[in-house]
Amino acid sequence: MNKEQWESRIIDYLDGQLSETEKAEVERELVSNDEFRKLHNQLSEVMQVMRNVPVLEPSGKLKVAFERALQSEIAAQTKTKTVFFSPVVYRIAAGFVLLMAGLGIGYWINKDQVQERELAELKEQVETNRRLMMAMLDNQQSASQRMVGVSVANELEQADDEIVKVLVKTMNEDANSNVRLAALEALGKFSNETQVRESLIQSLSIQKDPVVQIALIQLLVTMKEKGVVKQLEQMTKDARTMKAVKDEAYAGILKLS
Amino acid sequence: MSDELIMEAVKNGNLQQASLLFDRFHKRIFNFLARMTGDREVAEDLTQNVFLRLLKYRHTYNPEMKFQSWIYQMARNAFADHYQKIKQQKPAYMEVEKLEENLPDLQEALEQEETEKRLIRALAKLPDDYRELLVLTRFQHLKYEEVAGFLNMTVSNVKVKVHRAIGQLRENYFELENS
Repeated sequence: MNKEQWESRIIDYLDGQLSETEKAEVERELVSNDEFRKLHNQLSEVMQVMRNVPVLEPSGKLKVAFERALQSEIAAQTKTKTVFFSPVVYRIAAGFVLLMAGLGIGYWINKDQVQERELAELKEQVETNRRLMMAMLDNQQSASQRMVGVSVANELEQADDEIVKVLVKTMNEDANSNVRLAALEALGKFSNETQVRESLIQSLSIQKDPVVQIALIQLLVTMKEKGVVKQLEQMTKDARTMKAVKDEAYAGILKLS
Repeated sequence: MSDELIMEAVKNGNLQQASLLFDRFHKRIFNFLARMTGDREVAEDLTQNVFLRLLKYRHTYNPEMKFQSWIYQMARNAFADHYQKIKQQKPAYMEVEKLEENLPDLQEALEQEETEKRLIRALAKLPDDYRELLVLTRFQHLKYEEVAGFLNMTVSNVKVKVHRAIGQLRENYFELENS
């Protein structure tokens, strides 16, 4: 036996995992072999200290913060709508709603000079809001700012190419998996657009985070995207895919084919 | 009631039940993250983040999966995100002594015994995957089978790696004794 094998045998011995014969063998070595005994004593000490390391107590703040978050989630659920980080979200989302309304009204009475001027102002305001949202999505320092950006995008009725592009980039590349997941959710709303569908399908082979992978598979199944069956099959065969993801992929294949 | 049943209730809209899961798991998740990051404050933030994720992504929970595996998976992701963020901000500093830098605070606050201090320092010198395995199996006393489930490894592979990690920890620990 080499040193690593002996070491492993001693650990099993200390864990009480050996058969009687193996135990006797270890005990013989302990008596006759100084080097072996030293290794045993050191491993025993390290394992003993590990057992005695105290359990850390989190501060009471944690429970309070969780309860607060839970209550606001429950409140949001009863309103059947989840809006995070208001009122920024409300302000920006309202800007977009105003644009739609403004455009509608504007077309009706576009000959009227006064209305035209108001419409221009409205457009400018919306453009400012839009820039603000893009800046939030681009904030590399703060995941929560990017989260607000994604939440705003999620409130939109329609998304233009630029917004879709940013959301796809966020979904595939953001360092924070909460933000990636939120971007996926926002894109799900626009999944009837070809560009979005293609991006979602492509993302299936890029994602490595199991939570995002599962959400993505579920979304593609809801979209009845039969084209992804092959990719799902590949995922089930890939040894690196997590079991839960594989299960979801199997379920997806079943529903789609 | 089993964790899985409670989580299913949460998934189906009975959000208040999430409180039970918080009570059952927050200390374990906090300890896991505190040992991984070596920083209590960061660990509290990340624990909070894990439970917010639980609420927000409750609909992605697969009832056939053990709840414990799911929540540890989220905690591992939270740690990985944190690690990546730190790495982007301070690339040179992360590689070598990242945990040791944070340790004095943690240790003073805990008034740990000398041997425990040395053990935590020796643990900090291990590669992340070894440290993770030891925290899960030796500090948190999870079974090899449980850990294998969410690390996507075979049970025998977990055992081999845990043994190697203990071996390397022993070397680090006695090196520190002599230094």
